[in-house]
Amino acid sequence: MNSLATALRQIFLLVQWDLTKILRRVIFVVMRATWFAVQVSVFGLALAYMVSARSLGLDTQAYYKFYLFGIYTSILFSITASRAYDIAEEFEEGIIEYHLSLPMNRKVLAIGRAVGGGIASTLFTLPMFATVVVLAQEFSIEAILISIIASLAFSIGIAGLVISITLSIKSGDATDILMGALDAILVRLSTVFYPAVVIKSIAPYYYSVIANPVSHLADLLRLFYSFEEFKALAIASPLALASYIVGLSIGFSFLAVYVVEKKLEGGGWR
Amino acid sequence: MRKAVEIINLVKKFGNFVAVDNLSLDIYEGEIFGLLGPNGSGKTTTLLTIATVYKPTSGDVRVFGYSVVRDGDMVRKLVGMAFQEPKALGIDKPYDLLMWHARMVGYSAGDAKKVVREVMDSLGLWEHRDKYFYQLSGGTRKKVEIAKVLIQRPRVAIFDEPTAQVDVISKHVLWDAIKELRKEGSTIIISTNDMFEAERVCERIAIIYRGRLRAVGTVQELKDSMPYGDVIELSVAGKDIDVSKVLEILNSFGRVSVNGSTFMVYVNRGEEKAIEIVDALRRRGITISRIMVKEPTLDDVFFYITGAKLKEE
Repeated sequence: MNSLATALRQIFLLVQWDLTKILRRVIFVVMRATWFAVQVSVFGLALAYMVSARSLGLDTQAYYKFYLFGIYTSILFSITASRAYDIAEEFEEGIIEYHLSLPMNRKVLAIGRAVGGGIASTLFTLPMFATVVVLAQEFSIEAILISIIASLAFSIGIAGLVISITLSIKSGDATDILMGALDAILVRLSTVFYPAVVIKSIAPYYYSVIANPVSHLADLLRLFYSFEEFKALAIASPLALASYIVGLSIGFSFLAVYVVEKKLEGGGWR
Repeated sequence: MRKAVEIINLVKKFGNFVAVDNLSLDIYEGEIFGLLGPNGSGKTTTLLTIATVYKPTSGDVRVFGYSVVRDGDMVRKLVGMAFQEPKALGIDKPYDLLMWHARMVGYSAGDAKKVVREVMDSLGLWEHRDKYFYQLSGGTRKKVEIAKVLIQRPRVAIFDEPTAQVDVISKHVLWDAIKELRKEGSTIIISTNDMFEAERVCERIAIIYRGRLRAVGTVQELKDSMPYGDVIELSVAGKDIDVSKVLEILNSFGRVSVNGSTFMVYVNRGEEKAIEIVDALRRRGITISRIMVKEPTLDDVFFYITGAKLKEE
């Protein structure tokens, strides 16, 4: 019990570490927020007018709503993936070695950083989430709470993934290239902009879309707010989508635990 | 005496490079132990392995009986390390960093405030508490790094080159703080390439060179271990010195090292040999401008054991 209390306290401190350190990325976050504002105010509306949504059984406003939850998911993904740059910088500055020397179980270290990265990223996207809720005019408290929890679980999973990748490849340049590519590809090969039914005819693309975690969160958020409107467009049932997000969170957190506990040691950064 | 740290046939490789080569060493509870060697000799790698930051390629390190390979969690509870390069980000502030560290090593919020204040005061850091790390001098950053271990008060405290980049006055402050930590019960391990620091602070010293242990003992034991226990230091007069000619003569008396126009000859019965050397050089037309016989320094011991200078001239 005592060791559990210590572990929880240390996880709390690691979360605190991540929350304070994400301030370093304030320019990145401001850029993303600006990009988000332009997306929802210009591109989103323009796209909504262009898209002939009637054939899908939607009106123009419905596509805009579809787009809003998609764009929020992509922002959350990008900001969480940017944790990779923080981790890379920490390795270069020797912070990872410092953390490895602390009187702390390595599982606690890995989980603490994944949870910390997830919480920090989710908190930083909350203003954007609030904007989406207002623009979509969806004010259901239950839906808002469940959405935040789902977003947090998604973000913890992605943080676990980027921690595992960055600490495995141990290279600042490789991290930049890989994360840039991952961000660009995963957002585009998803249902952020296009409903799954539209791209069903493009087989390889469609398979990527239905395997993609970004698609799962985007569709899950849409279903939380407008189930009837979007149930025909989602890539899976709400239960399946939610199970995927929970699995993603647990799976990639355990991957981070494996990497930190079994593979990681100081030095060797390129 | 109880062993605090037991290094057993430790090997650490990075690719094909062998950083630590079959090192075995015992460090006893309550002592201040120094690892002495030039840069790249394997000191830091050894310390990072004790702190579980590196995994041994083969061999083991035991800290109060706990293996770094099998019982990493237990070892980390016993060991605290101040790194050679201070570990902080530019936007960190000393007080926040040390408070976080104190909480992480187990202090309650109230106790953390108290101990952080005490340690910052003792090292003269309090006035810098709210500055950004990038605004601090190298010496102040180093003090913050050392403060982490002083706050932690671990059973085994490791300091990797604790006074590198630190001014003379601060060096004494840090040495006193490290000695005080030992008084409180910690076993201290210091790595250094500063022979003055090693002589002044460490009770026992291990000389490490190219990843291998070359000698271990007290400073006096190491000096006494030199078969040619005296050093004749002499300078040759004149601008165009024929170094090879001088070496040819001096080599017949003992092992020789050269630094510019100064020659060091390692001999027994230094006073007698000095007279013979003066005669031999004079007979070949070489004039001596200065000569003295002295006890070997740790640097001399290091040179004798490894054939290399401790610090590059």
